[in-house]
Amino acid sequence: MPITVLDPTAEVVTPAGGMAPPLRSLAGKTIGLLDNGKVNVGGFLDHAEAILRAEHGVAAVLRRRKPNMSAPAPAELLAELVACDAVISAVGD
Amino acid sequence: MLSVVALRSRRLEVADELEANELYQRSGWTDGLPIVAPTEARVAACLEAAGMAADEVLGTEPVRHLLLTAEKVAVNAVMAGCLPAYFPVVAAAVQAMCEEPFLLHGATASTGGSAPVLIVNGPIRRALGMNATDNALANGSRANATIGRAVRLVLVNLLACVPGGLDRSTLGHPGKFTFCLAEDEEGSPWVPLAEERGIPRGASAVTVVACAPPRQVMNEWTTDPAEILETFTAEMRANMLGYSIWSGNYVLVIPKQLRDLIVAAGWQKQEIREYVHRAARVRRSDWHRVGKGRVAGGEDTEFAALGSPEDLLVVAAGGPAGGFGMVVPPWFGSKSRAVTRAIGLCLEC
Repeated sequence: MPITVLDPTAEVVTPAGGMAPPLRSLAGKTIGLLDNGKVNVGGFLDHAEAILRAEHGVAAVLRRRKPNMSAPAPAELLAELVACDAVISAVGD
Repeated sequence: MLSVVALRSRRLEVADELEANELYQRSGWTDGLPIVAPTEARVAACLEAAGMAADEVLGTEPVRHLLLTAEKVAVNAVMAGCLPAYFPVVAAAVQAMCEEPFLLHGATASTGGSAPVLIVNGPIRRALGMNATDNALANGSRANATIGRAVRLVLVNLLACVPGGLDRSTLGHPGKFTFCLAEDEEGSPWVPLAEERGIPRGASAVTVVACAPPRQVMNEWTTDPAEILETFTAEMRANMLGYSIWSGNYVLVIPKQLRDLIVAAGWQKQEIREYVHRAARVRRSDWHRVGKGRVAGGEDTEFAALGSPEDLLVVAAGGPAGGFGMVVPPWFGSKSRAVTRAIGLCLEC
């Protein structure tokens, strides 16, 4: 005899975030570089910053580091990054 | 009895229990082991046992803001093999894990591969037939096994902590299938863990700790409590060098044979905590001898396994024979903190 069972998953579809329009150029832009706090992120972002400045003419780079690599970035840190034209969020393990 | 119509989960028709298991396995809704079919009646019985409405929110996952409802947690508890009477423990464990200090997202997604270990105190242990003695950390008791497993299935199904998905554990450890123990309160003169952590005597509670794999020690050649504890702290120092140097909530599981010696010397849990706080320390330069010299740094700073004596959770458990003990290290320092939650009652209400 058939039985009825229940779906064990959350059954909630998280609304997808919208995509920001792509930047046509990085020249003159302010780029945020978010370090997740792990040991190897710094070197990676140093290179990224050098390339952004030398090859793409970014006007400014805002470097920030998460105080806890395993927790979301604090609201005040995100509020600072909102001012950037684009942000690279880096994970270094 | 709560009406089954109150349940809002999607219904699935299957031919029989065996087909239900096959469907859930195919859908990635298990830990790989067979499941019990979560029928409406079985889920409703869990909710009734806990006196919870189906839509009661047990907690919110703090990063993605996902709601964990009693109904969905009960579905997973049934799948894990829980009897309805076990459900209040599962619910309390889920509530505890959703408290901010537990850092649920980090503790369940990390490459470090932690498991939530559940430590149960109070009269519910005996009511449910939980095991606190022989083989205390392992197989044998349905309650221990399925309550711990229920938490894993909740993580898999409600928070998408699927290996290679949000669960990025490099290795994980066997405790990720199930890791639930009860304190041997009857076999110990010590204050039970939950009472030390603010739960009134006579109430039941569960403590959750995001833990790395347990490390067993053995010392059957001394009656000196300091020597016994030195064996435990040596293992903690090894963990600090081989795994993670950061301080956090370590759990020490002390079995009867060693407990009796420590008790005979007049030591309570507080003396144990203070001894371990003093002794479980390494220097950063010690990393040179374990292959981590590159990050040992210039300053020879001392690191303690415990930020304070209160960081140590001392649990009486284990069979009567054997000088074995267990060090259960924290997943990653103090990023996730142990949380204790009363079972079936609200202390703030």
